[in-house]
Amino acid sequence: MKRDVLQEKILTILVDDFEFVQPGLDDNLRDDHGFDSIDAIELLGKIEGILGLALTREEKEKAMEIRTINDILDYIELIESSRTT
Amino acid sequence: MKRRVVITACSAITPIGWHKNDIVDSLRQGRSGVKPLRDDGLLNRHIHSRVFGTVDYPIDYGFKRQYRKTMGPVAYYACQVAKDVLEQSGLDQQFITSGRLGVAFGSTHGSPTVQRDIYRTFFQDLDAKFSSIGAVDYLRSMVHTTAVNITRMFGITGRVIASSTACTTSSQSIGFGYEMIRYGMQDAMICGGADEYDTTTVAVFDNLLACSTAYNDTPQRTPRPFDSGRDGLVVGEGGGAVLLEEYESAKRRGARILGEILGFGCNNNGGDLILPNLEGISTTLRLALQDAGISAGEVDFVSAHATGTKMGDVIEAQAIDAVYGDHLPFVTGLKSYMGHTMGTCGVIEMILTIYMMEQGFIAPTLNLEHVDERCSMLRHVREVTQADIRIGAIQNFAFGGVNTCLIFKAGKEVDE
Repeated sequence: MKRDVLQEKILTILVDDFEFVQPGLDDNLRDDHGFDSIDAIELLGKIEGILGLALTREEKEKAMEIRTINDILDYIELIESSRTT
Repeated sequence: MKRRVVITACSAITPIGWHKNDIVDSLRQGRSGVKPLRDDGLLNRHIHSRVFGTVDYPIDYGFKRQYRKTMGPVAYYACQVAKDVLEQSGLDQQFITSGRLGVAFGSTHGSPTVQRDIYRTFFQDLDAKFSSIGAVDYLRSMVHTTAVNITRMFGITGRVIASSTACTTSSQSIGFGYEMIRYGMQDAMICGGADEYDTTTVAVFDNLLACSTAYNDTPQRTPRPFDSGRDGLVVGEGGGAVLLEEYESAKRRGARILGEILGFGCNNNGGDLILPNLEGISTTLRLALQDAGISAGEVDFVSAHATGTKMGDVIEAQAIDAVYGDHLPFVTGLKSYMGHTMGTCGVIEMILTIYMMEQGFIAPTLNLEHVDERCSMLRHVREVTQADIRIGAIQNFAFGGVNTCLIFKAGKEVDE
């Protein structure tokens, strides 16, 4: 999936489902938008929906390092590339 | 150490209104909040009882998503009434987060709406059953969801007591909150209960032949506590909270005192989990009087549990007669206005009594047209009665054999 398409999908989710207001790609998710561990788990479920696959436990634990929207996009691209190689 | 405990704020979301004026108006006008059972797409078509104590007015909660995400419908009621009492109280944020304010709040079984969604996931033919259960579903549905959503929303760091004893849930919450303050463990407690719209509860009572079915076409004519034409209880929904504070500190900060908790009685029947028990109930009423240090003759008003079941009302009438004897207080069954709001009923009945104390009247038991002769020994309130309630008692009895009685004094009677 191209990054700009992915970015649009993630921004739509963050605005519609997580009620982010004017999200910036390098905003700190927690400090700027009150995103917490509960939200992270919910978002991973939505990412599984976008990718059409179930994340492994190791992949989910890796997601806990995410701090920004750009990090989310990098993370999804990493998952995609690891699954296709 | 025994400290005095006063009520300094209260709020109830009930089938007869949310704000005090609406509730008082309903009580004075004899307006019922019992309506036709709503369609839940699951059980309502199979239930014989077609009535429900319904909250059908809009409530603009305005809670932010960061709080909403862990809340089922029951927590909305809980957090709204908690927000109301904190706003009324004027307590500052420093105290609220100090650890000296606790929460005693419960519901019958968390959020059945969310639990149903979880089970629906299990029973659907999906490949991804497990992962489609949301990460927050447990937080929304768990039995202590009301109490901890309140602590989360307001940053409360004191003790949490999450009673879940069916119909005595909120009266236990008030009683245990009172004891927390009385014995110095906390300086203030938000106490109460909530229960959301739920047809599974109706189905349970329906199957036990305890629900009203004869007035499906005229919902406002049921329940009928103490009436010879009663045919069972009506399940209802709502939420209620009172703020309890240690008397001296409440007085120091100039808080408005709505009442003083004088005593709390609580016991168990020690046997059958369903049938009402005269000895158990009578003992509870006596325990409350003993804790309050007053005689039966000093109680002016009893808010009876009075669900409108055939045997429950008779046993309760016998207990009141046995305990109060020659000094019978006025008796009203307030569930006649809204049905049985389950875990919420005790706190709602206390708040309605506070309002009647403030305004100098006693509401009658609605639908009490022909008193069952087995209940006729009581001093039933049959019409709106001008009277000053100085001391009132709130009695509640639950499945599981749990009984409670709270005795409290009107705010204007509290010593300066």
